[in-house]
Amino acid sequence: MAAALAEQLIAAIERRRGSGERCDAAGAAARVVERIRSWGASRALLADHPLMDALGLPVALASAGIEPVRWPGPRDPRAGGAWRGLLGLESPETACGITVPAFGVAERGTLVLEAGAGHGRAIDVASAYHLALLPAERLVRTLEEALVATFAAGRRPPSAVSLVSGPSRTSDIEKISTLGAHGALALHVLVIGEELSPAT
Amino acid sequence: MSKRIPVTYPEITAPLRERTREALADAELGGNLRAAQASWAKGRRQMAEQHDFAAMRERATGIRRDNIARLPELLERLEERVRAAGGTVTRVADSDAACRYITDLAAARGATLVAKSKSMATEEIKLNEALEEAGLRVVETDLGEWILQLMQEHPSHIIAPAVHLNKEQIRSVLAAESGEAVPEGREALVAHARRRLREVFAAADIGVSGVNLAVAETGTLCVVENEGNARLVTALPRIHVAVMGMERVVADWSEAAHLLQLLPMAAIGDDAATYVNLITGPRAPDEADGPVELHLLLLDGGRAALRGTDLQDALNCIRCGACLYSCPMWRSVGGQAYGSPYSGPIGAVVTPLLEGMRGERSSELPFLSSLCGACHEACPVGIPLHDLLVRVRNRVTTPGHRRDRLRFRLWALAWSRPWAYRATRALARGGLRLAGRRGWARRLPGPGAAWTSQRDLPTRWPPRSPSS
Repeated sequence: MAAALAEQLIAAIERRRGSGERCDAAGAAARVVERIRSWGASRALLADHPLMDALGLPVALASAGIEPVRWPGPRDPRAGGAWRGLLGLESPETACGITVPAFGVAERGTLVLEAGAGHGRAIDVASAYHLALLPAERLVRTLEEALVATFAAGRRPPSAVSLVSGPSRTSDIEKISTLGAHGALALHVLVIGEELSPAT
Repeated sequence: MSKRIPVTYPEITAPLRERTREALADAELGGNLRAAQASWAKGRRQMAEQHDFAAMRERATGIRRDNIARLPELLERLEERVRAAGGTVTRVADSDAACRYITDLAAARGATLVAKSKSMATEEIKLNEALEEAGLRVVETDLGEWILQLMQEHPSHIIAPAVHLNKEQIRSVLAAESGEAVPEGREALVAHARRRLREVFAAADIGVSGVNLAVAETGTLCVVENEGNARLVTALPRIHVAVMGMERVVADWSEAAHLLQLLPMAAIGDDAATYVNLITGPRAPDEADGPVELHLLLLDGGRAALRGTDLQDALNCIRCGACLYSCPMWRSVGGQAYGSPYSGPIGAVVTPLLEGMRGERSSELPFLSSLCGACHEACPVGIPLHDLLVRVRNRVTTPGHRRDRLRFRLWALAWSRPWAYRATRALARGGLRLAGRRGWARRLPGPGAAWTSQRDLPTRWPPRSPSS
């Protein structure tokens, strides 16, 4: 079941010129490093989420020569409006934002990112590349399921929820879709689950 | 971005007939429009193959009719929820009130730079002009809108504003803006614009966005986009001002999920937009990004007066732009000939209504249609646009249209009497014989001239075979 949903999600994102793959927790860090290297990114902007350490990402990234940068807290000077560094204006743009979606919508290939402390709403669009780590149990079939759960009564709605369905694109030049308009030039989703490692 | 770019929208100087003639003579525009339409139609066909478009359209039509029927109640709920989430809500009656609110806010906060993401509502209220007049620098950040701003032009399409320009034209505009050489090719143009506009996101004091839909249940604003600029505009500046047409409210998340899926299907032929930003209030205290202040403006601008009239269905519109691409008129002349922020069939309906039927465009635009009904067929929320066009035409009251109406009334009066019918027929036949030669009239005087300027008229029936 989860594997079928994962395949559906990945196929839809691929139609929009993103990419994705399934893997287990043990193999995730290596996959992340490999993907970031293939993009030529030299920094990783990490959402502050327990999954990062659980997968051993900061260590794996650092030992591969990719600088791990934590998303700033509210009192960090970078969050006081000094966004130039995070937007890649002070050096060539080489950051990869790493997020943990609250849901993955299989039917339409949509990632549901909830903003919160440590999980800034701009992580993916401030970066040149976007890598999403989606635990397989967060897969749902329809957008309605995901949104009704996200905004369920009795829970304070997140101040921002971003639905992301592919790399940033524009068709403003001659109606031809071109990637990397303002957000991430590339999107890769890693669906992580023990039973999900594709048979090799 | 040291250069200050003045935004001045030229007033309409030529009548519609002249504007359309000019557009039709522009071969480059024609080619660009044809390419744009073909690509939209292809996406639309793919969507129809992958999804049950008819069933989705039916549900969406029901949702929007219900939303508009319950509008006062939904707006109250929305206001209450946005305030509960820490936002400010203000109802504004018209463009002046909306613009004044934003310029006053900018003055009170000492703002100097405003970054905008694409929004038809702010086009409608001519916000850029008002901000410039107040001494603020305003930058459009949607790539197409930015290019148009640099060229000082109006958008030609709701979704794809610069659809009438090709990449060489765009390259020269970007080179002029930055004062540096811009490499050739689409990717290079996009990368160049990305870098230039990142400077704006980093420095802007206020971000202004539109609202595609607002969800009353939770007080959430939905902003749909593909580029990522709307997210940056609503994430980085300390103040976010959202300008929303008051009719764009839905009840709950089930309705919102449905419309958010249908909108990109109708607009761009994809079953999801790249980004949908769902914003509920300003940032929480423990968050590092997001605006500290959120201001929602609910714009009336003539909308409330439409409820309860036979034009109410115009309020169901979710501004996808499908009716534009489907319209043989829009496809021939493009959006700029309409001279209104809203072009195409929906523009021809709402422009007169928003202008209160008094504006210059009001007497012209409803007539820029063959009433073929393709717009109705394309509309994802089932608005009977061709019916609305006829109803708007009936409301036009310029002297010319009053004269026409009188003329038709006299005609109807005459032809409902057999003797008068026969008399006019005999008169017309006699006149034609006199005007024609060898069975064909080539040039007629008076009202007949319009016919013979394009084609000959047979003076007897059956006509003779046309002479050379």
